[in-house]
Amino acid sequence: MGIHIIVCIKSVVLDAPGGKIVRTPDTTTINPFDLSALEVALAARDELGGTITALSMGPETSSLSLYSALSMGVDRGVLLCDKTLAGADTLATSNALCAGIRLLEPYDLVLFGTRTADSDTGQVGPQTAVGLNLPLVTQARDIVFQENGLEVGAECDGFRQRFAVDLPCALTVAPEAAKARDASLGGIEDAFAGSIETWNLERLGLSPDQVGDAGSPTKIKGMTPASKGKQCDFITGSIEEQADKLLEKLVNAGLIQ
Amino acid sequence: MWLAQSNINPDNRLKSMNPFLTEKHREVRRSVRAFCEAELAPIAKDLDQEARFPWEVVEKMGALGYFGIQVPKDLGGAGMDSVSYVVAIEEISRVCGGMGLCVTVHNSVAVHPIMAFGTREQQEKWVPDLAAGKKIGAFCLTEPNAGSDASGIQAVSLLDGDHYVVNANKVFVTNGGVADTCLIFVRTDPEAGPRGISVIVAERGAPGFVVGDLEDLCGMRCNPVSSIRLNDCRIPAGNLLGREGMGLAIGLAGLDTGRIGIAAQALGIAQAALEEGIRYSKQRSQFRVPIAKHQSISNMIADMATQVDAARLMVYRAAALRDTGKPFSKESAMAKLFASETASTVTDMAVQIHGGYGYSKDYPVERYFRDARVTRIYEGTSEVHRTVIARSVLGKF
Ligand SMILES: Cc1cc2nc3c(=O)[nH]c(=O)nc-3n(C[C@H](O)[C@H](O)[C@H](O)COP(=O)(O)OP(=O)(O)OC[C@H]3O[C@@H](n4cnc5c(N)ncnc54)[C@H](O)[C@@H]3O)c2cc1C
Repeated sequence: MGIHIIVCIKSVVLDAPGGKIVRTPDTTTINPFDLSALEVALAARDELGGTITALSMGPETSSLSLYSALSMGVDRGVLLCDKTLAGADTLATSNALCAGIRLLEPYDLVLFGTRTADSDTGQVGPQTAVGLNLPLVTQARDIVFQENGLEVGAECDGFRQRFAVDLPCALTVAPEAAKARDASLGGIEDAFAGSIETWNLERLGLSPDQVGDAGSPTKIKGMTPASKGKQCDFITGSIEEQADKLLEKLVNAGLIQ
Repeated sequence: MWLAQSNINPDNRLKSMNPFLTEKHREVRRSVRAFCEAELAPIAKDLDQEARFPWEVVEKMGALGYFGIQVPKDLGGAGMDSVSYVVAIEEISRVCGGMGLCVTVHNSVAVHPIMAFGTREQQEKWVPDLAAGKKIGAFCLTEPNAGSDASGIQAVSLLDGDHYVVNANKVFVTNGGVADTCLIFVRTDPEAGPRGISVIVAERGAPGFVVGDLEDLCGMRCNPVSSIRLNDCRIPAGNLLGREGMGLAIGLAGLDTGRIGIAAQALGIAQAALEEGIRYSKQRSQFRVPIAKHQSISNMIADMATQVDAARLMVYRAAALRDTGKPFSKESAMAKLFASETASTVTDMAVQIHGGYGYSKDYPVERYFRDARVTRIYEGTSEVHRTVIARSVLGKF
């Protein structure tokens, strides 16, 4: 039997030349913040046995991130892909993921990265956990499987926390939790010998107004590149004074403690 | 948020910029590039300067299947095609030519001949450890008096009961200093000329098996290229590959495949030089503009990019032909000739673009320049390749 872990991953845009988002295999990649979640899942499966399903919502290019996950050793890849899913905010994304995860029952654990490299809201994991009525720990750093649940260590605002959580549960996994393994060439060969399942809206059993642009209460009014204002301060005084002033500035800016 | 739709079929070659690559091959590139940039790039300069073989990286590469790229899964390999193989070699060589050399020679002229000509028993004996990178392979053809003319070798191997007694003096053995499993080209019938040449697999550690001094090379310095001598070395008769007299056929088959790997290696080095050339030319200013604005420099960049692109298409075509089971001898020879000459030209231009800094070890282009040079020499010189290509183009007349 073993455990069933679902890892939600996103295919993110690497570059938007001229401010235009074009999703091609060369401009997208697996969200780097999802890699530690994948590694946590792989390590747990290697130890306890079981299966891992990687789940992603996105256009067809996103299947490549699922193939990357399969190459690392994930057992199954499912892509939620439908025209109506496009333009989703985090709530509409969570709605689609919840529906996908319900179709993957039974499961023990749902993992997310803490955020994405191209949107950076950190909302999808927690919202999906709420949608599924699952206990949630965010920023998980170490995860120990016990008789009938997990012991999870997390770190937040300079505090270490330890939680006992029942299964099934959801975690957002901090990048520090694990360094992702490299895909082996044999793993890549196996991944591409298999295939990714694609589920459309009908399969998810959702209506168009629950997902995508239509199901998104957030509307983006405009998007412009943020100007990178650089400010240059000259620190004066003797070398010792300069060092002290620099130290003070860095501490005040919260950059060092 | 995601807006645009695009159709991705993992096998849709036409949509990609390179008609020979599928999404699987792109994944190979992404993955090998990430590994090499993390593990090899930080040490590549030191490996070159210290002429050090990076066992710690080799171990990881072994676990990831780099030493058995085309070996079937049941023998512990990755079971991939030739296009995946050239992409992997290109990416390793882009970061470290000497390790590209190690991996390509191991895969294509050590492991491949055992797969193509060995018995199942021999394959099971040698291949799993080779494919896992636990043992390193070598190809020992060249002798002090036999280089381009392989038929001129003098090593002899005479049957004595159920053993061969081998005497050989092999030079310029890639991986020689670290190799465990060595394909030795010998004469089993000294009277029979080219038809008396055979291949015997010798294992390091056999009495009489001596690894000579490492070559102090111009480039590819992290590869322990050495001589290997066998002095009255007794090797079980069962270590003969194929039959007696098949040596040259095995050598040629190995080199046909090997050439694609060397071509991929040259391509990777050329790509690295192109990238450094582009980067430096945008960053270095003279006469108040980035030097890339000077037409002489931008013309060089244009020529470099064009030649690298052409080389890439030729290399991938040769590999793709091999994958479809079509003849690829001429195409692999052309790819090796063109890619190695391109690597020399392009690395030379990259040095030129860097001016004096290009001649300093502070910048990587001088290493690329030294590494590229030998790709025109080994596994058949450019001159020999032209002869091979001309023969196939001109036919009999
Ligand atoms: C770093 C390195 C690694 C190597 N690794 C290996 C290895 O793993 N295994 C192995 O067996 N060998 C290896 N070699 C040897 C390499 O394959 C030979 O150096 C090469 O085949 C050329 O042989 P040679 O050096 O004896 O030159 P020669 O054959 O003496 O050639 C000298 C010159 O004459 C030209 N020439 C020779 N014959 C002809 C002809 N018929 N027509 C026109 N021109 C001709 C050549 O092109 C060259 O320019 C390696 C060499 C180096 C430098």
